[in-house]
Amino acid sequence: MKSSLFSKWVAKRGGASACIWYSVVGTLLLTPFDISALVVNYSTERNASLRECDDFLYRGQRLDAQRCYSLLLREDIDVRLQAEAAWSLGDLKLANSHFQTSIKQYPEDPNARVRWGYLFHTTHQDNEASSLFQEALELEANHAGAKLGLAKVSAGRFGARARAWVEEVLTQDDEALEAYLLLARMELEDGSIDDADELLDKALAIADLQNLPPLEAYALKASVDLLKGVTDSPWTSLGLEFNPIYGEIYATPAHFYVITRRYREAISLLQQAVDLQPDLWSAHAELGINLLRVNRIVEAQAHLATAYEGDPFSAKIVNTLRLIDSFENFQVIQVDAPRSDLSSGSGVIMRLNNEEAEVLQSYVHDLVQRSIEVFSQRYGFNLVEPVVVELYPEHDDFAVRISGLPGIGLLGVTFGYLVAMDSPSGRGDGDYHWGTTLWHEMAHVFTLEATNHLVPRWYSEGISVFEEWSTGPLPGRHIPLVVMDAIREGKLLPTAELDSGFIRPTYEDQVIVSYMQAGLICQYIEARWGQHGLVTLLRLFGEDQSTPDAIVNAFSLTLEAFDTGFKEFLDSELAPVIDDFTSWQAHTQEAYQAAEREDWPRALEAAERAIALYPEYVGEGNPHTLKAKVYEVLGETEEITTALQSYWQLGGHDPIALTKLGQLLHDSRLYKEAISVLSDVIYVAPLEEDLHAQLGDWLLQDARPEQALQEYKTLLAMDSYDRAASYFRLAQAYHALEDEPKTREHLLYALEIAPHYRDAQQLLLEVVH
Amino acid sequence: MASTFGMGTPMRGLAIVFLSAAIVVPTAHAELYYLIVGGIGGESRYEKIFSEQTQSLAQVAEQTLGDDLRVSLIYGEEATKTALKSKLQHLAESTSASDSLAVFLVGHGSYDGEQYKFNLTGPDISDDELLELVNAVPAGEKLLVNTSSASGALIGQWAGEDRTLITATRSGGERNATRFGEYWVASLTSEEADVNKNGIITAEEAFRYTEARVAGSFESEGTLATEHAQIEGDAPGRFIVARLRPRKSDTPKIQLLRDESQELEKQIDELRMKREEMGTDSYLNALQELLLELALVQRQIDEEQSVQ
Repeated sequence: MKSSLFSKWVAKRGGASACIWYSVVGTLLLTPFDISALVVNYSTERNASLRECDDFLYRGQRLDAQRCYSLLLREDIDVRLQAEAAWSLGDLKLANSHFQTSIKQYPEDPNARVRWGYLFHTTHQDNEASSLFQEALELEANHAGAKLGLAKVSAGRFGARARAWVEEVLTQDDEALEAYLLLARMELEDGSIDDADELLDKALAIADLQNLPPLEAYALKASVDLLKGVTDSPWTSLGLEFNPIYGEIYATPAHFYVITRRYREAISLLQQAVDLQPDLWSAHAELGINLLRVNRIVEAQAHLATAYEGDPFSAKIVNTLRLIDSFENFQVIQVDAPRSDLSSGSGVIMRLNNEEAEVLQSYVHDLVQRSIEVFSQRYGFNLVEPVVVELYPEHDDFAVRISGLPGIGLLGVTFGYLVAMDSPSGRGDGDYHWGTTLWHEMAHVFTLEATNHLVPRWYSEGISVFEEWSTGPLPGRHIPLVVMDAIREGKLLPTAELDSGFIRPTYEDQVIVSYMQAGLICQYIEARWGQHGLVTLLRLFGEDQSTPDAIVNAFSLTLEAFDTGFKEFLDSELAPVIDDFTSWQAHTQEAYQAAEREDWPRALEAAERAIALYPEYVGEGNPHTLKAKVYEVLGETEEITTALQSYWQLGGHDPIALTKLGQLLHDSRLYKEAISVLSDVIYVAPLEEDLHAQLGDWLLQDARPEQALQEYKTLLAMDSYDRAASYFRLAQAYHALEDEPKTREHLLYALEIAPHYRDAQQLLLEVVH
Repeated sequence: MASTFGMGTPMRGLAIVFLSAAIVVPTAHAELYYLIVGGIGGESRYEKIFSEQTQSLAQVAEQTLGDDLRVSLIYGEEATKTALKSKLQHLAESTSASDSLAVFLVGHGSYDGEQYKFNLTGPDISDDELLELVNAVPAGEKLLVNTSSASGALIGQWAGEDRTLITATRSGGERNATRFGEYWVASLTSEEADVNKNGIITAEEAFRYTEARVAGSFESEGTLATEHAQIEGDAPGRFIVARLRPRKSDTPKIQLLRDESQELEKQIDELRMKREEMGTDSYLNALQELLLELALVQRQIDEEQSVQ
């Protein structure tokens, strides 16, 4: 990032300006906050004086609250109360200092540590918060506040442990209001709306009984209504009656719109939240992030800047502002739809890094346009807005784009009409097939927009995976080995619960297992009810039907019968592989070990056995490429070609293997096949100069000068090492297209660099004379 | 990049042209001498690689010179410190200031923080010993290409006026076995390395090509580069390291045509300088005129040479 607005601004404020992503904030806040953050304290043991002040705050009577806390702070009271008063006044530095003193003065008091932990938690420093909660538990093993603190930290990360902590608290105390609220929130995040509703009813009864503020319960009740399709909730009015400046009454339901990917609706609610409570920094931050998701960058930046003013220590806010600054290193390329008919979409906008834009834009655009046409036809839905596609060469930039924080392991994300993903250079390995990732994301654009974002996660992922396998640029069904293991171990979820496999995984590989299961379910639907079945189910989701209802209505089957049918399908498709999976692993391992000790016949035999059992596996450590390598050692060219051809046809995409195959096919005069193979390498390694030179040469030789021209243009855009040759290649392509002015121009550019370039000289003489 | 001639980044495109124009064709009495040394491999794999690379370099040298009279080659068991000293001492006695010397070291190197050593059969040779021996050769222009690991330890020690140093690594600290040698050898027979397409590979062209290929090989593997080649000296663009086509002696007629060709090249260079002030069309028209003339002269040279 160079002279960006945000960096300049931070520098002016004396803050850090280095271009690094924040992942840990560091020391606790150095500047005081305003009295804006409303953190409800549900402890029935809270000091009466503090509760008196709290009441003003909860009712939105801020001046009274401020006066009350200030008076309390001036009194000679326990340092723990001073810490609370300072915190409530927004003086976090002072609160922090008092909590530090509290720990020294009352080392045996777990409450002091828990409250200090909450202070850290509300200032985005969850690691420090967790340590304090753990310390409190060491002092008092059943401390409910500490357990709830840990639950909140875990829930914020969508961790599986959150629920267990809450349940422990409820076992100890079935009237713990905060536990009910947290559990209800988690149920809502999991889509269990009715369960959440019941929990909230209990929470409201307890709040009433214990005279605690019902504000959060109201906001969650409004969220329940919203998830049931009731947008004008009476709970919103009740919340505003209780506290007329309670912005969370809109911001909390907005969160549930966000996690169900209904960004436009979330933006509308968040806007209401900040209109009502302009200093609700978290809502400004969320609003900014969600505006970014719908490509409203200028507004997003404004809200994030406001959020930063009020909460300068949120890594999410800082990182996202820096990301926006980095957009100056990107080009925005807009291409209109090729035809006026609806099925060709409404155009494509690409945001590509300056260093790669010229090279990638034509390939990205071609694939996006192709996907629009394919999916419009297959799903009977036409896009009404341009699709925005962003490619990030730095994976951490992409991660910040989607979550505000670096380090996330995804390859691509779709926010509706906006797709963000790793660029081909964003992954260091040769295994990243950006073409299939983009195809997957484009399928999401259709499933989200066709249902107004009401499609459940599992079905949207399922369609995307299914389309990758059936219509995408990488042929074949690709199931990672860990998923085979999970299927064999019976770890698949019932369809109605499949969303939880994505949102709250309970074992290490459950997310990828859930992706594959969803894809297989879609394959099952297509096999049994045809494409029409997939479209019907999508339509029913668009009518806001739940998974059980939609399945029953689409296929006239009970959910149990549907799952039974899926299991039978799975057995028929994968049982032979799963039954012999251990043997396959053994043969593959034997093949690699034999190759290691140069026992070529043994390596071949084992590789062939493995291939016979599970031919579809072309991922890392597959037997196909090993077989080709063995034949290479043995000098059996025809056999290398055959082995690599099978590998390629099954979806193998290692660029080195495919480049080799292309050359072998070309050497065997199988020119068209060679071109097909090399064209596929573009979806894995588009930034290789030699690839474009070679492919262009073969296309030209095959009398396809238009396509050759594209490759040569890419080559030139890559600032290729041999620029004279690149210009000459372009001249040859133009010559083949009978464009003599362009031919002459490019020949002159070639000869300007290399005046003795014989081939260029000859063509120039031919063209000019 | 430790570059003393102001080219901190890889040179591409037009910039190469201006350097290529500065190539000095050796006079009848000025001769180019090659010394190619293949160090000890330590493992059979490296023995094979170093042997192949040294032999390829020797072939290129012979093709470039037209014979093997001025090509000295030692490798494998024969590559001892004594043999290397003897070769360099012989060169010190047989060359003069009008000659040029290219020394290629292929093998492993080591650096202990103070001293670099090139690994030979028997005792290794240190940087001080090596440079002293090379300095003793009176040849006016010298090129030292060290493809070994840790070869960057030589940076700043030797290069200067008429002395070009190319190393596979940027310091003595880059100690992994290098890839530089493989791509350097490839550059000497590569049409692609010959960016100005004059059939001659200069030290600079070979270096730029090799540097790009080494970096590309690490990039495509997705691994961090363990070597960063360096170039030092003021004349890499005029030091011929290879010819892509066999050298033939010029007849008087060919010599005249070459003079004509050189004059046209000079005019092209002058025209390029005026590019900014001319409109694109006028520039390209004028350029085309000169290039066509040059193409016709080149055609005559080629025809004359084909009947030789």
